Amino acid sequence: MSAKAKVSGSVVAGFPSPAEQYLEPPLDLNELLVKRPAATYFVRVEGDSMVGAGIRGGDLLVVDRSLRPADGDVIIASVDGEFTVKTFRRDEDGVRLEPANPAFPAIRLRAGQELDYFGKVTACIHRFAGKR
Amino acid sequence: MIGLVDGNNFFVSCERVFNRRLVGRPVAVLSNNDGCCVSRSNEFKALGIPMGTPYFQLKGREATGELSFCSSNYELYGDLSNRIVSILREEAVDVEQYSIDEAFITPPSLEALGNGERGTAAITTVPHSPFPIPRSPYLAYGRRLRSKILRWVGIPCGVGFAPTKTLAKLANHIAKKRPDGVFLMPDDPTEILAALPTREVWGVGRHLPAKLRAARILTARHLRDAPDDTIRAVGGVTLLRTAMELRGVPCCEERDYDAAPDTVSCSRSFGTPATTCEAIEESIASFAAQAAAKLRRHGLLAAGCNIYAQVFASGGGGDFVDRTVVFPVPTDATNEMLRAFRPEMSALFTPGLRYRKTGVVFFGLEKPGTPQQADLFDASPPPERSRLYKAVDALNARYGKGKVFSAAEGIGPRPWQMKRSKLSKRSTTRWDELMTVR
Repeated sequence: MSAKAKVSGSVVAGFPSPAEQYLEPPLDLNELLVKRPAATYFVRVEGDSMVGAGIRGGDLLVVDRSLRPADGDVIIASVDGEFTVKTFRRDEDGVRLEPANPAFPAIRLRAGQELDYFGKVTACIHRFAGKR
Repeated sequence: MIGLVDGNNFFVSCERVFNRRLVGRPVAVLSNNDGCCVSRSNEFKALGIPMGTPYFQLKGREATGELSFCSSNYELYGDLSNRIVSILREEAVDVEQYSIDEAFITPPSLEALGNGERGTAAITTVPHSPFPIPRSPYLAYGRRLRSKILRWVGIPCGVGFAPTKTLAKLANHIAKKRPDGVFLMPDDPTEILAALPTREVWGVGRHLPAKLRAARILTARHLRDAPDDTIRAVGGVTLLRTAMELRGVPCCEERDYDAAPDTVSCSRSFGTPATTCEAIEESIASFAAQAAAKLRRHGLLAAGCNIYAQVFASGGGGDFVDRTVVFPVPTDATNEMLRAFRPEMSALFTPGLRYRKTGVVFFGLEKPGTPQQADLFDASPPPERSRLYKAVDALNARYGKGKVFSAAEGIGPRPWQMKRSKLSKRSTTRWDELMTVR
């Protein structure tokens, strides 16, 4: 009963709070970044193959497995048993995984080779050095 | 109609989501303390290495690179299991998690299936069947469930449909061997039942087949068609319920699976919605106590447990919160379980919300001691151990929970923690063990 009274503000004595009709739950980063919890995974970036896309070593990526990859999406896929983050490209030449750093080569799928897709990167969380 | 959704080689499949090198290879996941093989990939099974083979016998073949092994990563398996269940809760009318890798579901009504989805509107029936069940909507629904779970979570599942849980178990068994992973029990399953030895029927257990043989009941078909008196004489009312289920009459409603100790789960809806953390805690504590008693009755230890609470919503449904708890060491002791649950209670309970249901699902069940010992000695727990817990339980029942507990549970790191030398990363529950990408 007390919880209900708190929410509705209908206290017997005293004035109802003027802010009552503006009460909202606080902002929640999960709500912003994780649309489908059952399909969402967090992964850690190593190295700087995607630095041109704003993805740096140590960054945390939010990955949604439920989304199918489209040309230009940043995705996670497994190549020769190792997970990699790259830009997904599909055109007349077939499928390739493009880095965002000239020091790295693009990965081209061989004929008949299927992309071992993990999920689509929906956000990158970069934390700054120093005290947390 | 009841559906059973079951993850194929579940533990191995979980490992493969995050370790693609294991795909296509013979892999097994080891039991608590790296004892023996408890989950095998199809490639591993194809080599003819049986379930339960001790790890030490296979170390040589691991060294040559022929076989791969993983320790039980229950944190990971529990989390992926919760993800699958949450998908099922979205897609099904009702979900009952039966074990870490199996859930019974109530599919939406035929009307909902037939009208809701593209391509399922054309309802076909089996010709010449006395009880025609439109088949294609269930099959299409099963395939949709399966592909969603595979895509979202990465786990391949089998989906079996039948009018009862016992038949759904069999349907699931067949589903897993089919390329599309889905099977609906035919209206007349006589042929399937005739090919199935009684020991493979869910709930028959290991000790009954000898008695059944004596009564000339050899197959599931015999069991279904035997006179009730005969069945009751062999296996009591529990076996009669199984026979009824084989006849297509649902008898397994009360969520009591005492005859099937391959899992221990317990859930209860509150008479009136619970609003306090104490109520949630107490209900889960009482489930843990019941589960511990059942574990001891079967001489089993549990490695961990999924605990969950469902928020009350008018008109049914309501959000679920769940947590996976891995015990410091596999246990059958109530107070050890409760101690492990305690830090998770605050995550389950949000003040101000009303709760309609809580539940527990234990996993990683096994006989105490290493597999070698289990082979050498009687499989029942050592007598001094069970006597101790009986005394502990009796004292705690009399003087209150947790009044008597082992001094070893005190403080600091535990030297007797479960050995998991080949543990993969707990990628979904630990920030410092995330999967890395380059």
